[in-house]
Amino acid sequence: MSVIVFVEHDGGIIKKKNFEAVQYASGIAQKTGATVTAVILGTIADAEIEKLGEYGAQKVLHIEDNRLNELHPRAYTTALLTAIEKEGAKIIIALNDINGRAVAPRVAAKLKAGLVAGALTYPDLDKGFVIKKAVYSGKAFAYVNVTSDTKVIMLMPNTFPLAKTEGKATIEKLAVNFGDKDFGIKIKEVSKATGEISLSDAALVVSGGRGMKGPENWYLIENLAKELGAATACSRPVSDSDWRPHHEHVGQTGGTIRPDLYIAVGISGAIQHLAGVNGSKTIVVINYDPEAPFFKAANYGVIGDAMEVLPRLTEAVKKFKLHK
Amino acid sequence: MKILVCISQVPDTSTKVVLKDNNTVVESAGVTYIINPYDEWYGLIRAIELKETGVASEIDLVTVGKANTEPVIRKALALGGDKAIRIDADSNDPYLTAAYIADYAKNEHYDLILCGKESIDYNNGTVGSMIAELLDMDYIGFATEIKTEGNTAIVKREIEGGEETDSCNFPLVISCQKGVAEARIPNMRGIMAARTRPLNVVTPAALEPVTAILSYEMPPAKAGVKLVDPADMDQLVELLHSEAKVI
Amino acid sequence: MNDVENVKAIKGGEFLIRETAAESIFIPEEWNEEQLMIAETCSNFLAQHVTPNLNRIDAQEEGLMSHLMDEAGALGLLGISVPEEYGGFGKDFKTSMLVTEKLGAGHSFSVAFSAHSGIGTLPILYYGNDAQKQKYIPKLASGEWKGAYCLTEPSSGSDANSGKARAKLTEDGKHYLITGQKMWITNAGFADVFTVFAKIDNDENLSAFIVEKDFEGISLNTEEHKMGIKGSSTRQVFFNDCKVPVENLLSERQNGFKIAVNILNIGRMKLGGGTVGASKDVITLAVKYANEREQFGRAISKYGAIRHKLAQQAMLTYAAESAVYRASQNMEEATELLVESGLDEIKAKLKGTEQFAIEAAIIKVHSSEVLDYVVDEGVQIYGGMGYSAEAPMERAYRDSRINRIFEGTNEINRMLTVDMMLKRAMKGELDLMGPAQKVAGELMSIPDFSAGGEEDLFTKEKKHIANFKKAVLMVAGAAVQKLMTQLAKEQEVLMNLADMLIELYVSESLQLRVEKLVGLRGEESCKEQLDMMRVYINDAAEKIARSGKEALNSFAEGDEKRMMIMGLKRYTKTDDINTTQARRNIAAKLIAENKYCF
Repeated sequence: MSVIVFVEHDGGIIKKKNFEAVQYASGIAQKTGATVTAVILGTIADAEIEKLGEYGAQKVLHIEDNRLNELHPRAYTTALLTAIEKEGAKIIIALNDINGRAVAPRVAAKLKAGLVAGALTYPDLDKGFVIKKAVYSGKAFAYVNVTSDTKVIMLMPNTFPLAKTEGKATIEKLAVNFGDKDFGIKIKEVSKATGEISLSDAALVVSGGRGMKGPENWYLIENLAKELGAATACSRPVSDSDWRPHHEHVGQTGGTIRPDLYIAVGISGAIQHLAGVNGSKTIVVINYDPEAPFFKAANYGVIGDAMEVLPRLTEAVKKFKLHK
Repeated sequence: MKILVCISQVPDTSTKVVLKDNNTVVESAGVTYIINPYDEWYGLIRAIELKETGVASEIDLVTVGKANTEPVIRKALALGGDKAIRIDADSNDPYLTAAYIADYAKNEHYDLILCGKESIDYNNGTVGSMIAELLDMDYIGFATEIKTEGNTAIVKREIEGGEETDSCNFPLVISCQKGVAEARIPNMRGIMAARTRPLNVVTPAALEPVTAILSYEMPPAKAGVKLVDPADMDQLVELLHSEAKVI
Repeated sequence: MNDVENVKAIKGGEFLIRETAAESIFIPEEWNEEQLMIAETCSNFLAQHVTPNLNRIDAQEEGLMSHLMDEAGALGLLGISVPEEYGGFGKDFKTSMLVTEKLGAGHSFSVAFSAHSGIGTLPILYYGNDAQKQKYIPKLASGEWKGAYCLTEPSSGSDANSGKARAKLTEDGKHYLITGQKMWITNAGFADVFTVFAKIDNDENLSAFIVEKDFEGISLNTEEHKMGIKGSSTRQVFFNDCKVPVENLLSERQNGFKIAVNILNIGRMKLGGGTVGASKDVITLAVKYANEREQFGRAISKYGAIRHKLAQQAMLTYAAESAVYRASQNMEEATELLVESGLDEIKAKLKGTEQFAIEAAIIKVHSSEVLDYVVDEGVQIYGGMGYSAEAPMERAYRDSRINRIFEGTNEINRMLTVDMMLKRAMKGELDLMGPAQKVAGELMSIPDFSAGGEEDLFTKEKKHIANFKKAVLMVAGAAVQKLMTQLAKEQEVLMNLADMLIELYVSESLQLRVEKLVGLRGEESCKEQLDMMRVYINDAAEKIARSGKEALNSFAEGDEKRMMIMGLKRYTKTDDINTTQARRNIAAKLIAENKYCF
């Protein structure tokens, strides 16, 4: 029996979170006495695919159709379902990200399978098949039991640290029959911010709020972010006032991120903002107001004027990198 | 064009979560309930805009919930919508919720089904794509803009590190987030009409959930913040490196 | 309780001599779903359009206030009580009071809104003929036209009928030419329609006219520089042979003063609602601040001195609110009865309002003084930041002050309260004599120390309130007897009596509200409200005692005085309850909820 894990790549490069998914699948496979079969779609070199073996995949099914180089949810679903049937898989792993959410639920619905979106733990088999996930925008956790035979789990990225193994994977090419319906969505245009680190993937984030006083001061945030290799984010008022592009807004009604490090500058820390960032491993708050509620949720705090602290911190990071 | 807007009732964003009954239940007493913001501000308002511009002829709202969700449904009707359907069931299993809605919608010939990108209580964001699969429709998620051209939807959606513009023929399911529309305040006319718009209660299909929440847990209390002297940023960098191990 | 007396609706002023059943009053905890939706729309409107722009509004940014009124109009908020046939929503008085309350937290906007939808619209709605209503009301209800009200002049404020503005009929009989100077006119800077009061020729009383801003002969002075509500347009308006078509005479010649008085009655009630709304908002700011601000290692909300203030703010506001909605409902019921008896709807509304003019005056005085207390302690809780213009409390403090001045100063309203009571007694509309004599008789006899029958949760408080009534009747009766027509000149005594009446009315309103609430929700869920009731009545007793004593000492003498002072002591005796603990309980709830939560 195998555990199927849906793996993606970006222009032939597999990003870190996909290795996390494979490692997660491997952990589950060990618990249930199964093997791990990864499924990867589109154009990608075998040398890159082989890396999946290092994180626990015994086999990789590669569906090479180049139409799959972009997300076509129904085609991806068809491909996955084909692989699942071939392997007789009962456990399917995907990532809880944009593409994962377009595909895994479709697979689950088709198979009438219980789905957990945002897994934070390996399943507890003593209690059934119980997985912990965050609810109420991170204000609490829930233990979800999957009662159906077939199970679909979407892993929350950046939850488990990666550990390479000596494993190897065999690669098998798989042909899938697609219908017209599978490609009903036509992609007209793609615009990616080049050179910028994607907020949802970023391990390090520097974020600004109203305390920055105006968009003209954002260069201070950007300088620090550049020095750290971090993505930039912002609070809702900043996004509403159009100081920053809307996709930078993190919070209850914006994006949810779980970086290793979240530096919040001039953000007071309203509940709604915390909902977007409370999964961060480490939070640093820089604010001139010692009463700012955010300090209660922070690991490290700096009470000071952002305009002065940011350049100092940027310098300190620069120095640190030189001496490393 | 006939539009179905999926609405779910959630606790208001500032609610403190309180657990009871040995952590198996979230306390509902004293909680203010609202329409899931993504459903309301983006899905519902966009549907209303499409009706205002003559693109849509009918907007139906659907909720999976018991009678206690009716005040929130009426709040949605106060914003707009021709009628509301309440599928009389409680469900925190995304498959079950999607299956109930798909079962209701299967004979209604909706051209467009809108929902919010996720609900702020369970944060799954999976019901929309499940409905699409069950109704054999396409699904576009994380939409930031929805336009129509005849029988085609032109949808901008968020992708990692950017934005993509897709086109797809109706019927279609779209989950919405910021950018699709602007929140509105219900006006007096709408509030008074809410009473007169039909709210139909429907028996749910005979289905079982495939997941169950066994218990809840509160996050661990945060250890107090470690303050660092603003003049000593070298110390902060050192702490982040050696103590927090994040850089 | 099937009290036949309560089947007949209570009349204005009757609270002094009659009991009210708790079930018969309206309490805000009973809003229906639709009313709550309307309230939410108002709050959302402020949160989205007004609160983020308070500085710009106070700077009187060009076009901003008018634009906000347009937005409010688009939501339907300017036509809540306007009949549907004129483009409004025909909602009842309570609902329009709720809207006023919710918008009351809107600082300068609240004033602009109230002036427009109250004094700016109602004179035409209530006194206009069909043609006038058709022409002006729909546009006022939608906000397309903005309204203002020109009564006050540099030398006639409280003495409104002494205005010098004059109107003269032209030779061809087609126009009135109005000449005069009006002062403190709200919304003048952007109003399209003014209700202007002037005397025709040598008339003794004012007449009212509908004047459009584009009529010949109107000019405005620059904006007044005010202590507060700086965003509200306040200007002098000059009329120089302003040409007004005769069709724009509102109601009959010389009816102007009556129009002014009646509209003022409504305005006074509404002021109660608006200030209660403002108070709740300020209390939420104060408790949030107290929960965040730390000194000596703890949030200041943990300190008793702060808790006392928070509790006091909440209790006074809850009490004021009780009175506002009780009176609103009474007024509405009186109006309905009049309509049922065949009276035309608008005449019924005016008569119903007039009926409760005493309660309106009481509410105006009490609520405005509550708000001033709330903002004053709000500043204190904010400490240094309370004095800073960077924090919201400073504006709240300045904006509040006008409420004790306009719509009739609190001094005028106090005197009117007593004046109207006594006038009605004299006319035979209100039997004060009988009850007053009964009290006088009681003073001569031995007090009844028997334990009385069964005691329930409210027995004690009901007894106190019944005694408060006796105290008022006793002092008022004695004052009338002693001073007779001189009483009108003894303003200090009138003020004392007014203060006693105010505390009585509010105490009773609060007691009835809590009683009804406990009936709905059970004692367990109303602990803080019960505490508020007990503390308020406890404090009211002392206030009534002090006012009564001051009055008695000023006009009574000898044995009679001694007897009445003893009677006053008896009628204002309360139990020794731990009010400090009770206030702590009230504060604890506020602090836990982090907002005004009653």
